Amino acid sequence: MLSNRISRYLLPALALMCCRADLVSARGFDGVEVHGFATQGYIKTSANSFFGDSEDGSFEFTELGVNASMDATENIRLSGQLLSRSAGEMYSGTPSIDFALADYTVRSTENDNIGVMVGRIKNPLGLFNETRDVAFTRPGFLVPQVVYYDKVRNLILSADGVAARMASFGEAANVSLYLAAGQTRIDENVEYVYLGNGYDGDFSPNGLSYIGRVLVEKPDNTLRASLSIASTSMDFERGVSDPIGNGNVSLVYGIGSLQYAVNDWTFTSEYMREPIEWQGFAGSPLDGKKATGESYYFQVAWQARSDVELMLRYGEGYADRSDRSGAEIQKATGGALPAHTQYSKIATAGVRWDLTPQVMVRAEYQRHNGTLVLSNRENPIPAATVPDWDMFALSISYRF
Amino acid sequence: MRYSCLLLILLLLTLVAPAGAVQIVVHHSVAKRALTLNVARLVFTMRLLHWPDGTRVRVFVLPDSDPLHQEFAKQSLDLYPRQLRRVWDRHLFSGAGAIPVEVSSVEEMLRRVAETPGAVGYLPDGLAREKVRVVNVE
Repeated sequence: MLSNRISRYLLPALALMCCRADLVSARGFDGVEVHGFATQGYIKTSANSFFGDSEDGSFEFTELGVNASMDATENIRLSGQLLSRSAGEMYSGTPSIDFALADYTVRSTENDNIGVMVGRIKNPLGLFNETRDVAFTRPGFLVPQVVYYDKVRNLILSADGVAARMASFGEAANVSLYLAAGQTRIDENVEYVYLGNGYDGDFSPNGLSYIGRVLVEKPDNTLRASLSIASTSMDFERGVSDPIGNGNVSLVYGIGSLQYAVNDWTFTSEYMREPIEWQGFAGSPLDGKKATGESYYFQVAWQARSDVELMLRYGEGYADRSDRSGAEIQKATGGALPAHTQYSKIATAGVRWDLTPQVMVRAEYQRHNGTLVLSNRENPIPAATVPDWDMFALSISYRF
Repeated sequence: MRYSCLLLILLLLTLVAPAGAVQIVVHHSVAKRALTLNVARLVFTMRLLHWPDGTRVRVFVLPDSDPLHQEFAKQSLDLYPRQLRRVWDRHLFSGAGAIPVEVSSVEEMLRRVAETPGAVGYLPDGLAREKVRVVNVE
């Protein structure tokens, strides 16, 4: 409903901004800023499918984005971004509104800053969710998959609603608080992740989602620490031919983040926990099920030259922290869901090379144990996935 | 004696050289005569949107690759250019905040800061700057 309103009012507003560009640019400052980015990836895996038929080498990973922003008044800034993202079977590249919002600054002084945002707003979860599709801002080829699962990205990506932001600035630290309520975007991938398969029926939001974050930063930018959380609930309405009944999935997604940068070194670590509850779904073993997803990673990056960064990362993710080995699921499903589908342990080494400020290439090698990060939309038979596998990835990105 | 002279010259050089290289400048309408380091950082990371009199802060910068920008970031803000870029990119690609206006030359910087109320930027020492006001970072 809110989404409809966004497309009805905010989109024309954005279009108007673009049309007005020539009129306002004469005034110099109040023109529309237009920027964008493009990334093309190549992925080769030793087994399993990640973003297309990666065993044979896949180019099915493309990201295109263009954004516009302008100051409508001294206190109101309008901004929006169109995004096209193709990623194997999961994302088709159909352009969508990534964000479209009006930001009203209520107050901005040397001591504090208070504002309100309305529209489709990116959720500031963890250090990277807001800009996870912009290669230049990521800590690697992709955001760390164990915390930022690509297979559920849309669910936590943004919310259509309102947000309040408050920041307090001090000699020792800047502290910001963010609170938002809105409707989340739900796509077919959510069914594969939370119901284990795609169905004729659909998920829809059950009420509002809530998002909150506390962020503490040292003014010299050496330290960033945050706690962020999102809670959402969605109802499943079965299709006529679906073998399962109606149901509800409720979850909380919480991330603790720490980043420390000193000279040419950046150390980053994040911990994620996701309690999930299933209700209903008659005819499936999901009724009354509870699980708590858990994951973490550590990363160290070294700026070897002004244009070259080297990176090492290790991370682990578990579908349910009370069944980390996956043995219980394997037993309960008679082997249909092998133990290794319930976790991922990933060691990563990567290099980033900024050829120019506009062009960047990345190369990355990942050693995987477990297949939790894989989508069963791309790997439909869990028992056919290979537990130990390698991934090699290359990408080239452009920005303007 | 010779060594003392040499040392004295070296000492003077280290005292004089950094202070004269790059300076923050503002439009004449901006009443500020000096900025604390923290306020300067707030301004250039786009977190301070209004000057005390309510005028909108308008930030101008040179490209990341410009040596003067790199000198400014390190000397005036004690930050790496890539730290500024990270903040601006987060604002730009999430809609969560404003970004500075990028100018292509020192001449354009001088012209834009001189003609834009609320403007703030930076210029190399020695450039004619009657049209703008220099503010010190303390």
